[in-house]
Amino acid sequence: MPIPFIMPKMDMDQETVVINEWLKKEGDMVEKGEPVVIIETDKITSEVEAPASGRLAGVLYADNEEVPVTQVIAYILEKDETEADIPDLPHKKQETFDQHPPQETLDIEPEKKHKPATPVAKRMADAEKVDLSKVPSTGEKITKEDVLSYIESLDKVAPRVQVPATPAARRIAQEQKVSLSEIIGTGPSGRVQAADVGTFIIESSEKTQPSVSLVETLPLSRIRKRIADKMTESYQNAPHIYLTVEVDMHEAEESRKRINQLANEIPVSLTSYLIRVVAWALKRHPFLNAGFEDGHIKLWDQVNIGIATAIDEGLIVPVIHNADQKTIREISKDLAYLTTQAKAGVLTMEEVRDGTFTISNLGMFGIQSFTAIINPPQTAILAVGSIKRKPIVIDKEDTIKVRPMMMMTLGADHRVVDGAVAANFLTDLVKALETPELLLM
Amino acid sequence: MLQKLWGGSMPEITYRQAIHDAMVEEMRRDKRVFLIGEDIGTYGGAFGVSAGMLAEFGPDRVIETPISEEAIIGTAAGAAMVGMRPIAELMFMDFIFLAMEPLVNQAAKARYMFGGKATVPMVVRLPGGSGTGAAAQHSQSLETILMHIPGLKVVAPSTPYDAKGLLISSIRDQNPVCFVEHKLLYKIKGEVPEEEYLIPLGEADIKRVGRDITIVASGIMVHKSLDAAKIVEEDGISIEVVDPRTLSPLDVDTIAKSVKKTGRLLVVHEAVKTAGWAGEVMASVSETKAWDYLDAPMRRLTGKDVPIPYNRHLEAAAVPQVDDIVREVRAMVNNKY
Repeated sequence: MPIPFIMPKMDMDQETVVINEWLKKEGDMVEKGEPVVIIETDKITSEVEAPASGRLAGVLYADNEEVPVTQVIAYILEKDETEADIPDLPHKKQETFDQHPPQETLDIEPEKKHKPATPVAKRMADAEKVDLSKVPSTGEKITKEDVLSYIESLDKVAPRVQVPATPAARRIAQEQKVSLSEIIGTGPSGRVQAADVGTFIIESSEKTQPSVSLVETLPLSRIRKRIADKMTESYQNAPHIYLTVEVDMHEAEESRKRINQLANEIPVSLTSYLIRVVAWALKRHPFLNAGFEDGHIKLWDQVNIGIATAIDEGLIVPVIHNADQKTIREISKDLAYLTTQAKAGVLTMEEVRDGTFTISNLGMFGIQSFTAIINPPQTAILAVGSIKRKPIVIDKEDTIKVRPMMMMTLGADHRVVDGAVAANFLTDLVKALETPELLLM
Repeated sequence: MLQKLWGGSMPEITYRQAIHDAMVEEMRRDKRVFLIGEDIGTYGGAFGVSAGMLAEFGPDRVIETPISEEAIIGTAAGAAMVGMRPIAELMFMDFIFLAMEPLVNQAAKARYMFGGKATVPMVVRLPGGSGTGAAAQHSQSLETILMHIPGLKVVAPSTPYDAKGLLISSIRDQNPVCFVEHKLLYKIKGEVPEEEYLIPLGEADIKRVGRDITIVASGIMVHKSLDAAKIVEEDGISIEVVDPRTLSPLDVDTIAKSVKKTGRLLVVHEAVKTAGWAGEVMASVSETKAWDYLDAPMRRLTGKDVPIPYNRHLEAAAVPQVDDIVREVRAMVNNKY
């Protein structure tokens, strides 16, 4: 039996993957474990390896095509096998199931793919010459009702909007890529004349003429689009509340110094230190380490802290998994590695997924305080500013000392986290930073 | 347009004279050329075109016939097939129906049916059109009927210059050519060079260069269109007048090119509307790229679907006049068509 080559699902909320490039072509020999195709998800670019050794056949998708995950994208043929051995493709399974003779042995047209259909729906579609791939269906299978409502919708399709226009007007409109329906026709019965199109183009260009001159219009890269979509979704859907605190980082800094003196290893960064303390606090405040999905609050057992990392292409969030169970050295090592990988653009799917909380630190840019947008489906994000030495009152006797102060702003999804819950979390976090011993208790 | 190439001054002669001169010159040049028709000798033809030719060429080459159009055309066709180059004259185009059998079933087909071994180099001169008070049976414009017959060429000159150049080409052509002469044109004058010149069949001529609308017209309608152009010029409307000169084969390229430029087409002819050749022109244009440049429906201004009345006023009303063209052009250019 040919071995199906299945597009893996790489992330919780991932539905499709774009095939960047087939490293092997139809008919090429592949070794098990050998990279066969480069794919691109919303987050990363990755290689998919051959599930077995043999000849690559029945490739269903071309370069740059979008593929649903967990779908068969090709087959690996063993020695004596030919294309004829390839079983009916996924969308044809139902056919054999229904004991209808397969109409074609190999149908590689992706647009013909459709959900499985019930036998009745299939019979109806055949009789009515309906292309099942065009039938919308909400369930797992296309049902008789789906086919019926599709047929009905066909009958109701509104007639083409007919704009009276002369052939010349139509030609010019087409050449200039303007819609005739927007143009007021001055010909008989409002017929659009060539001059009307000209007037429209001039007027609309006058209207839209920007006062600044455009240098370039850039298409959104996949990563930019992902950021745009996610941030818009979050900003529009999650009612953000923001709470800001100022922390005296004196103890934390001292503590970090001591840790770094203890061993001659890569120094523990402030971010790593923060991750460790935040992980500790999150463990005590599960609603901050949660997800809001499909109208449900999901509480995770793991504490996976994502670190917003600026890269050339935009922003990526590598994740320190199980941060609450790692030593500060482990976290520091992980973070250094992930940052390097991120800058090189070679993060794996595993390294960016399943985050439960995000820290965004702009302190190194000298930013004192800022607000961040929650990374959905997470419920909170911590925006960390720079450490600035300033005089503060440190006790009840109004003693003034110069201390390294740091502002942190917690952004939380009010659908899950109320102000008091967020405040409690922040209070614990501040306490732990100001009194590192708390982590031992 | 070609006239301008000569430069200097050319003698102005009438359309009638131009046709007369073409025939005389060709008969002097080529012994095979002869005239055949009714009253073409002493009387000089119904419109005086062949006046004086009997004296020069004698009764053997200016053959007067009894009143039988079938005999005239049949004789001409037979003579042409055996190597002569007859010019047959019918007094009125209307009588062509009497000669349809030899013209359509014999002359038009022989060359094809004999695989090119037989040629029928004949010209049938057909005075046509209204405007002389000659009533329904002597005023028709039947060129469309002739255009419908494969094997016939149909020429309809509008100026003395075109008439002479086209007639010489027609006489020298190896096919039967129906040479349509609008009766009102005989008196018009125009410059015609004294030197021999030919105008190839199948080439349209732009009689007036314009910007806003193309009028395709032939014969007398060319002149009416030019008059209309002068009138609407005052409104800032610029008419381009394209004269096909040869109706079959039709120079669609020149017409389409003009339409592409102006974006509007009006076809003007005296022949009646239904199944008239305006439809042929419009259909041909719609088959070209010019279609995409049309900024108004193609329109036609033609003779009304009635027999030409005897009453002068009704006669004038039955065919397009300058005012009609002006009105139509204004409507089309101002998008009030």
